[in-house]
Amino acid sequence: MKPNTIRQREQLTGWLLALPALLLLLLVFAYPIGRAFWLSLFTRNLGTELQTVFNGLENYARMLGDGRFWSSLTHSTVFTAISISLELAIGTGIALTLNQAFRGRGLVRTVAILPWALPTAVMALAWAWIFNDQYGIVNDLLLRVGLIDQSITWLGDPVRAMLALVVADVWKTTPFIAVILLAGLQAIPEDLYEAHSIDGANPWQNFVKITLPLLAPQMVIAVLFRFAQAFGAFELILVMTGGGPAGATEMVSLYIYDTVMRYLDFGYGAALIVVTFLILIIAVAIASFLISKTRIDVTGER
Amino acid sequence: MRISKQLQSIKKIPRTLVALIASIAAALFFILPALTQQPVTIKVLIQALEAEQLQPIVEEFEKQNPDINLDIIEAPNETNQVEDLYTSAFLLGESPYDLVYMDIVWVPKFAAAGWLMPLSDRVSQEELEQFLNGDVNGGTYEGELYRMPFRSDVGMLYYRTDWLKQAGYKPPETFDDLVQISQDLQSRDTVEWGYLWQGKQYEGLSAMFVEILEGFGGFWVDPDTLKVGLDQPEAIQGAEFLRSLIKKNISPPGITTYAEPATHRLFINGESVFLRNWPYVYGLALDSPIEGEFAIKEMPHSRQGSSGASQGGWGLGVSANTNHPEEAWRVVEFLSKAETQKEYSLRTGYLPSRRALYTNPELVAKYPYFPELLKVIENSVLRPPIAQYSQTSDILQRYLSAALTGTMSPEEAMNTAARETRAVLEQSK
Repeated sequence: MKPNTIRQREQLTGWLLALPALLLLLLVFAYPIGRAFWLSLFTRNLGTELQTVFNGLENYARMLGDGRFWSSLTHSTVFTAISISLELAIGTGIALTLNQAFRGRGLVRTVAILPWALPTAVMALAWAWIFNDQYGIVNDLLLRVGLIDQSITWLGDPVRAMLALVVADVWKTTPFIAVILLAGLQAIPEDLYEAHSIDGANPWQNFVKITLPLLAPQMVIAVLFRFAQAFGAFELILVMTGGGPAGATEMVSLYIYDTVMRYLDFGYGAALIVVTFLILIIAVAIASFLISKTRIDVTGER
Repeated sequence: MRISKQLQSIKKIPRTLVALIASIAAALFFILPALTQQPVTIKVLIQALEAEQLQPIVEEFEKQNPDINLDIIEAPNETNQVEDLYTSAFLLGESPYDLVYMDIVWVPKFAAAGWLMPLSDRVSQEELEQFLNGDVNGGTYEGELYRMPFRSDVGMLYYRTDWLKQAGYKPPETFDDLVQISQDLQSRDTVEWGYLWQGKQYEGLSAMFVEILEGFGGFWVDPDTLKVGLDQPEAIQGAEFLRSLIKKNISPPGITTYAEPATHRLFINGESVFLRNWPYVYGLALDSPIEGEFAIKEMPHSRQGSSGASQGGWGLGVSANTNHPEEAWRVVEFLSKAETQKEYSLRTGYLPSRRALYTNPELVAKYPYFPELLKVIENSVLRPPIAQYSQTSDILQRYLSAALTGTMSPEEAMNTAARETRAVLEQSK
């Protein structure tokens, strides 16, 4: 046989073996997304008695003038950006600490992961009470320390409510980042640091020149995961603020849920999903493009 | 002519097909009826807490109706989640539930979506008149009854009898009275806060605001003409009144984040003179430090308006696609019976939906406030029974919350709310 045909055969076998997986992907991802695209071209709501009526791009036109959608998108972006940056910074700190050898490290590691293991709805309820203006522990502490002389209404003010949500989210998900980074840290060989120290590097230089570049892949993974999660944050907001006050913490996930499940406005809901989906895809694409560049720098390969 | 032609064509059909049709027919007419001699199972989804409370009623029903098996499926206790579960069940086509246990505000949406069976033919007008008006009206959509009332719920004013007596006040009739008494008692350092209500951005805010609207003589949405009244002077006054309560320190600034539990807790701990809440607080307060020091009355109002009590409550509808409408209806009838409701109320403290029970000696002996409550409940006002209620309520919640937190002026907020509500109602006409 010619080498060419052998190669072709191999390729065919490869495709055949990959076929079941591809079909499955098509079924569980491509089909629902495609269907959402299709449905977004129709009106199907209580006004049409849940019948599907073709309307072209009317849903998308409606979205342009829908202030609620754009403000919810802004809230999601702000929430995601702030909480991920904080989580990454604090998570790195925790991971570095837990990477050091000290007595009781096993116990501390287990305790550190606990917030992540709690059901979101439960911990959100707890945080809602923590930020309660009359009984809340935050106000109590601040009053005792003397930083404030009057109770603050945390969840009743647009900016402070967002802040409270970020704090709760950071508390819950920093352990996740810390654990991933810890795994990354443990994969960095000790001798790199030794060699660098012998060259006269101080700990800070060690951190910047060795730890950070070698930890970059884990950071990227953690951030991507957290990005998808934070953008879709739902129970936390539903329980703590319900999107209030005055819609100031309404995330895009909450708005889509309302449109579909409560208003029964399926066509418009589908259009919202499509646009949010595209925005997310573009964001991830940009992120991975930037990351692929930095990674080349890290390893020095081309 | 035609028939003979058809007969001819039948002859052409192969024998196997005839045999198949015959066996299907046999299954339909002989085997299925035999199977249905078995008890029919009627399914309904109910919040876990109440499902448990209903258990004795289920047992009694099954004893009296051996041919029906009443199966209550336990749902989460959160009202919104139950609504979602029913919604998904209906959206997926064949609903597994024969009955729908409904909060009063779901009725228009479920009826408009075609998920409920009309019930008007099954119950006589005289029978319906035995029930509280608000409960019956809340179960009606576009003139057709879709929900039989089971238990009622209503908003009311709780007040501290001891402090009012000490200071020589009568219970407040108007909003001005309420403000004056609060400020006086607060300035004497008798109490921290004057008046507590639900100010968080959620459904409870809308439920509370219909009372304020009624109190100022305004309206939200007219269900017949779909006219929106939120930018009328009365509605703006209502929003301004609530805002002024916070500004004057009669209500705590944190009220803009309070749902029912936070407000009842403060009241029971003796930190407020007045509280707007539902009947459930009565039982809690009887079992608290303020026992014997409080009473209830209908909501105050302004000079131009009248007292309004927000109507809530639960009842049963029959799912439109049930295979057993007759059996399902028998369950509904059993739960609507005066006897069942009396027994249930005695055991749980929930409000019955039959008027006569509020003066029933047995119930009054156990709940002496029932006659007083009847006065409150007769003044009940509905949240607008329109199909787009969820959207409409969300808009009001959002802008009222903006007015209360001071991000918008009450007038600006109400004007925007009215404009957006009109847009929503216009879109779905």
